Amino acid sequence: MRSIRGRILLLSAVLLATAGCATSEEWTTWYEHRTHFASYDHMGFSVRNTEGSSPKVTRQDIALARDEGWWGKPITVSQEQILER
Amino acid sequence: MNGRSLVAAALVPLTLAAGVAVAAPPSDRVLPAEQYTTDKGRALAAAHRGALQELNSGLYHCWPWVEVQKASIGFYRPKNATQDDRYLSTRIYIEQDPSPAFARLKFEERATAMFSRYVGPLLRRMTKSPALAADPKLDGFTAILEWMKPAAPVGGRPVHETVAIFIDKPTALDYLQSRTDIRTLSSKARVLGFDGETPLGTIAIGPAWDDNFVTTFKVANYQLEPGVVCQ
Repeated sequence: MRSIRGRILLLSAVLLATAGCATSEEWTTWYEHRTHFASYDHMGFSVRNTEGSSPKVTRQDIALARDEGWWGKPITVSQEQILER
Repeated sequence: MNGRSLVAAALVPLTLAAGVAVAAPPSDRVLPAEQYTTDKGRALAAAHRGALQELNSGLYHCWPWVEVQKASIGFYRPKNATQDDRYLSTRIYIEQDPSPAFARLKFEERATAMFSRYVGPLLRRMTKSPALAADPKLDGFTAILEWMKPAAPVGGRPVHETVAIFIDKPTALDYLQSRTDIRTLSSKARVLGFDGETPLGTIAIGPAWDDNFVTTFKVANYQLEPGVVCQ
């Protein structure tokens, strides 16, 4: 029992020691990370619309989900700060 | 031709037109020709209007996790250019889930990752039209990549990070024609960084790598509009 506790403590210490560093493993994690929608509920709404058939998501569903899930006007650089017409 | 055939013949083009209208992305994503300030800009816009709308349509249908805002595609001049250099520019907002691993990277590392993932495929889409790529008036390409900053909102508003990547035409064509690799492309590109609205100046990104994300990722259950083909 004591041995198991000891191992858990050792493992925790190793995890703490390695936390906070952008390791190559984390690069790989990000690389493997699959982009999808932050608001899954909205995508679920689209899927529910196709009840009884295989779920389908159209480009319009995505545009709608984006509009409904919009988090407010972002703070971002304007086109004019980068480019001229 | 009897009456029924005449009605059917009239309905076919209407149905096709309706199908196209449903499938079409907003056309205001491409800067209209009349809004350019020089003849060179207007000439490029007029000559390659179809190619730019096709680029817009391809991004809309084939990269549905990406958003293209109004006037994000056009033959813009890099700000403060000393002459009327015209670069085909495309600005995209990349939607992705929050990722602790991505958040732990430095800004330059996030920029490198985004460069690796999007610049090559974007350049290929931007040069699908041989006439556009060969146009002597075209001086280069700009890719503007924008994503949600992995940080708390400011005043309730999300903050975006942005990189503007400028690549001259010979460098881009060398890469596209496999004479150089993505590392060389990233080393020759000029990259400006922005934290929200704040310019960070020219940033040094690391060597890029070939990331096959856009060719392998599929949005779950996503169905292309009829007649749309993604290559």
